[in-house]
Amino acid sequence: MLSAPIRGFGKTAAMAASGFVGDSPLFLADYLLRFLRVLLLLSLWRMILGNRTAGGMAIPVVLTYTLIAEVFSEPLTCRTELDVALWNGSIATRVLRPMSLVAQFAADSCGKWAFGLCLFSLPLLLASPWLGVSPMPAGVRAGLLFPVSLALAVSVGLALEFLFGGWMLMLEQNPWAFGRMRGAVTLLLSGKLLPLPLLPWGLGAIFGWLPFAAVAAAPLQVYTGIGNPYRLMLLQAGWSVVLWLAAGRLWTSNRERLVAHGG
Amino acid sequence: MEVRPTTGNLSRLLKLWRLHAQMDLIWMMRDLRSFLMYSGSDLLITAAGVTAMLLLAARFDGIGPWSRLQVVFLLSYATLVRGLLDIFFNYNVLFISRRVGRGQLDHTLVQPQPLWLSLLTEGFTPFSGSAALLPGLGLLFWSLRGLSLSVSPQWVAWLLLNLIGSAALTTAVSYLTGSLAFWAPRAGEEVCTSTMGLFNELKVFPLDGLSGATRLGLLSVLPVGFAAWYPARALLRLGGPWWALGATPLVALLASLLAAWAFRRGLAHYGRTGSQRYSLFGHRR
Repeated sequence: MLSAPIRGFGKTAAMAASGFVGDSPLFLADYLLRFLRVLLLLSLWRMILGNRTAGGMAIPVVLTYTLIAEVFSEPLTCRTELDVALWNGSIATRVLRPMSLVAQFAADSCGKWAFGLCLFSLPLLLASPWLGVSPMPAGVRAGLLFPVSLALAVSVGLALEFLFGGWMLMLEQNPWAFGRMRGAVTLLLSGKLLPLPLLPWGLGAIFGWLPFAAVAAAPLQVYTGIGNPYRLMLLQAGWSVVLWLAAGRLWTSNRERLVAHGG
Repeated sequence: MEVRPTTGNLSRLLKLWRLHAQMDLIWMMRDLRSFLMYSGSDLLITAAGVTAMLLLAARFDGIGPWSRLQVVFLLSYATLVRGLLDIFFNYNVLFISRRVGRGQLDHTLVQPQPLWLSLLTEGFTPFSGSAALLPGLGLLFWSLRGLSLSVSPQWVAWLLLNLIGSAALTTAVSYLTGSLAFWAPRAGEEVCTSTMGLFNELKVFPLDGLSGATRLGLLSVLPVGFAAWYPARALLRLGGPWWALGATPLVALLASLLAAWAFRRGLAHYGRTGSQRYSLFGHRR
């Protein structure tokens, strides 16, 4: 009984991964951009910190944080095709498929992440000695807890995705403007680009309580051994529960609007 | 038939800019909700794009050889370049691969005026596109007030020339890569998104810490260094040769010539094949 949904999830993920190549054969240019970005960020940290320690983070830790943030960039950003589906009406056909909406979009994203993992993340990890960065976690415990924290991060990210999708639907807003706005704010608040302990004026301590930090900063801090991992993961679990409940309520109350938009 | 810029065309250019400015204002007044949404998102994206570097500069009192206010100047320069592009090349004129890939270039080609004139005027949105220009000006005044820089009329002229050069260079690179969409409309439709993503993300970084080869690459093959870092460095007199102030406009000119050549070749190909959009098996029918 359980194998059918898993097979469906796997097939959807595989279709998304192969579709990625078919839709955009110039995807390698995007990977080049990401690689350049990593080089720039690493050089930036070396230029800023030198041999200093800031916010309890020495330069090797900051470099590992930056590298791992790029290696797991897609799950740590956790975006789906939900806004596109709402925009072009394909959400209507998705509702008819014998699979839950959340599972469909999650499978789509997993497929694309798998593709990026093979073509970008693994080569980047292999290139890390050449970049002068250690890709290893802070310790055995950090290495073991990271997958759990990453899974919680994806859960919070997907919940945020459906929550924002529901708001977009409710406010009848343009998904591109809404998505770009959300992406810009999230990048800053999530701690993916700048480790939260390195922010000035104690902003990191405030941002750390927000759900955006649960998507990126928390797993990265667990990996690099910054802060208490159990506290971070408890916060992630708490946000996951709260946000999924909120997203569920929002989508239930928006059901009629969704019907009006589809097609 | 090729039409070259003439005095008549230039007066028409000004007339069309005025017309598009009026239309932009009318759109803004008529649909205030959309205007606020788009402008708000542009403002937020602009702010987020520079905030990370601002926070770093504040936390570490500068970035490498750049003092805190010099970083603010770099960010103001990058924001002003974006502001110029938003104002002059909106509605996917900058993202030309979208228009080409979607077959929308036909809408421009059927107009009874030269293509360059349409492309220079269709995206002119001085009101709704000013969400990046205004914060850029604010950052510029903030940095200039604190920096011990002698701001002479000559320096302001160099600043304007370099800003126009950086904007022209960015547009040229977008058109150079966007020309791919003439040969691969489906695959190349979003190639300008990648190009502009590269410029928008990387131009705010001081490139001083990079290795010589990587920095050279970012000043030649992918000339993102000329989008803000190199001209800002020259304007702040942070080193470099005596001709550094003229380098960005010169590179912009060369890149524009290259882009014009690639675009013309693509257009010639398009003249033979046309758009797939209107065929039975076409994309985005």
